[in-house]
Amino acid sequence: MSGLLQNLVDGLGQGSIYALLALGIAVIFGVMHLLNFAHGELITVGAYVTYFCFTRGISWYWIAPILVITAVLTSLLIEQVAFRWVRGASDSTLLLTSFGVHFVVEALFLMYVSASVKTFARPGWIANTVDLGVARVEVVDIAVISITIVVLLITAGILQRTMFGIALRAAATDFDAARLMGVRSNNVIRGAFALSGALAGIAAIFWLMRAGQATPGAGLTPMLKGVLAALIGGLGSLRGAVIGGLALGVAEVMLQSQLPSGIAGLTDAFVFLLIAMLFIFRPQGIINVGHAERV
Amino acid sequence: MKRTLSALCAASLVLAACGGDDEEPGADTGADTSADTGETAAPADTETADTAAPPVAGAAAVDLDAALAADLAACAAAPTGEPIKVGMALDYGEVSGFADIPGGEAATYLAELINCTGGVNGSPVEVTIRDIQGDPQVTATATQELLDAGSHFLIGPPFADFGQPVLQVTGGAVPVFFAASTEPSLPDIGALSFLVSFDDTAQATAAAEWALAEGFTRAITFSSPGPYFGYNPEVFAEVFTAGGGEIVTDQPYTPVDDVDFSAQVSEIASVADGTEIVYSAMLAFQVTALRGQLEGQGLTDLAYMGADAFEATGILAEANNEGILHTTHAFAEPGGRIEQLLTGYEAARGEPLESGTFAGLYADAMLLGIQGIANCGCTDPAQIGAAIAAIEGFSGFTGEMGYAGTNGIPNKPVSIHRVVGGVDTLVADWE
Repeated sequence: MSGLLQNLVDGLGQGSIYALLALGIAVIFGVMHLLNFAHGELITVGAYVTYFCFTRGISWYWIAPILVITAVLTSLLIEQVAFRWVRGASDSTLLLTSFGVHFVVEALFLMYVSASVKTFARPGWIANTVDLGVARVEVVDIAVISITIVVLLITAGILQRTMFGIALRAAATDFDAARLMGVRSNNVIRGAFALSGALAGIAAIFWLMRAGQATPGAGLTPMLKGVLAALIGGLGSLRGAVIGGLALGVAEVMLQSQLPSGIAGLTDAFVFLLIAMLFIFRPQGIINVGHAERV
Repeated sequence: MKRTLSALCAASLVLAACGGDDEEPGADTGADTSADTGETAAPADTETADTAAPPVAGAAAVDLDAALAADLAACAAAPTGEPIKVGMALDYGEVSGFADIPGGEAATYLAELINCTGGVNGSPVEVTIRDIQGDPQVTATATQELLDAGSHFLIGPPFADFGQPVLQVTGGAVPVFFAASTEPSLPDIGALSFLVSFDDTAQATAAAEWALAEGFTRAITFSSPGPYFGYNPEVFAEVFTAGGGEIVTDQPYTPVDDVDFSAQVSEIASVADGTEIVYSAMLAFQVTALRGQLEGQGLTDLAYMGADAFEATGILAEANNEGILHTTHAFAEPGGRIEQLLTGYEAARGEPLESGTFAGLYADAMLLGIQGIANCGCTDPAQIGAAIAAIEGFSGFTGEMGYAGTNGIPNKPVSIHRVVGGVDTLVADWE
């Protein structure tokens, strides 16, 4: 029982990071119909910024806000440089553009930084644990779950109670109708990229605290997990993205610990099998999103 | 008019694209007169030499210490013989760039040093590098280009995924060194395919034997199905249990990606008694993350040991690395050849070479090929390959080695290191 509880907390900790990433992906998909495979580059850039800060003796207390600011600026830059020019293009064009951004950013780091791993120190408390009697829980899991809850509440507040949030939700429902109602597309899209960047920045803090390394492909795995979580939840659904992220995290940890040792190496395969089964019964993901098709 | 301009532009683009091939990264420098050994071997450049010069086994083709002492700003006359052509099919991408980039740099720099001291029996060493871009198809094309350019031998990428396409193209007709590879499936004397390092069987065996010799009786392994990440712990477990040890648990993980080992740590905490040695072939940042989590669960006295990926991915730069053991290719002792190579490179290029001993492996690969040419006094790649296969007692950057009586895996010791005070220390050279 204690093992299950421990696995559940571990899974929720991991899933919280996925949820933040998936939420950012869902926000962008909502306004642009773009499944953003360049989302992981926000973490790649963040990883090198962390390495740069680390080599200059800057502590994690400063690195954390720097990461969020970096992710927001990078997200806006990518929108300005790449996606601005393909707004309204077909889904496949948007998809290819996001792949292009991913490969260009990776190549830039390969050419101008290094192909080698650049390591930086994790915070000293990262592996500390708290004994809850029935389980020994990592402090970082408690931190990431707590902060994710706060961030989700703030995000919900922004979306529900601010003009930007209302415009964003309107654009996500029907972009053209929202424009006809006076919503300024530039502001909404930039705002969506900024919000998506901020969420990725917060996710990056915890991802990089654990990873302790920067490589040109550092953002690939978190991007894939985020996209998967968004798909599981129902592409375009903000609630679904969060549920998908948490479900993915818990499923990974549970399978890793509960599968017999002989087949535990196939954890990822079982995770994808579960996802495939989900899509057989609910092709739209956990939450169904009704979109007006753009023409 | 516009059409004419367009045609001119298109023509110039085509010409530029064709010309670009000649400007791939590479080195061919000329330098002075004296060769190193004073042997009577014929210049390694002419076809007539194939029959004129008897094999000169054992004599060093390159006076390495003289080359390392060369001043690139004060070279004598360039060697004028036919060049020794070294083709390097390297991956400058993320998969193998950690080794191939510094390896290519090291070989190019060493060629400059050799040429600066007169080349090899009057022949300059000419290095041509082609980037295989982490793509088997590009690998095959790049290999063919290097063969078409007349390479006497090739140096290939570390992993079998890209090594096999190289061998398919060479078809056993041209010798190939896989400098940074420990993959047991690559070496094959019949295909003129050579490792420059020990293979995974040797390094995992050395790790297990050392652990047993140190008195460890319980071990925890981390493995992932497949060659390197699965094969090393598998061999370790076989040798360790055969020697009387017990594998307490083998935990699965995802190489390169996993940095959260919560599920595995929970399970280990329930079966470990704290006296175990944890063995894996995972990457440096993964083992320190794992160690942090295990220590968080109260397992503070475990020992950690890994394969050569620990060094390749920067174990020395990691925090929380104290006491971690790893098998690797050589010990860069103060004042030794590897250190001379690294300091000389940094002085010449203004930036350090990453992956020190890995750079030494590529330099050794080039020297071994040159040695083969000098020994046979020939330029036919197949004969060069046969001469390489007969090399004994070669002394390069990563120690003494040879291929005589092997299937392409050099007989050299496994260097076992421990991080002490953030610095690599030599624990043993395990034969």
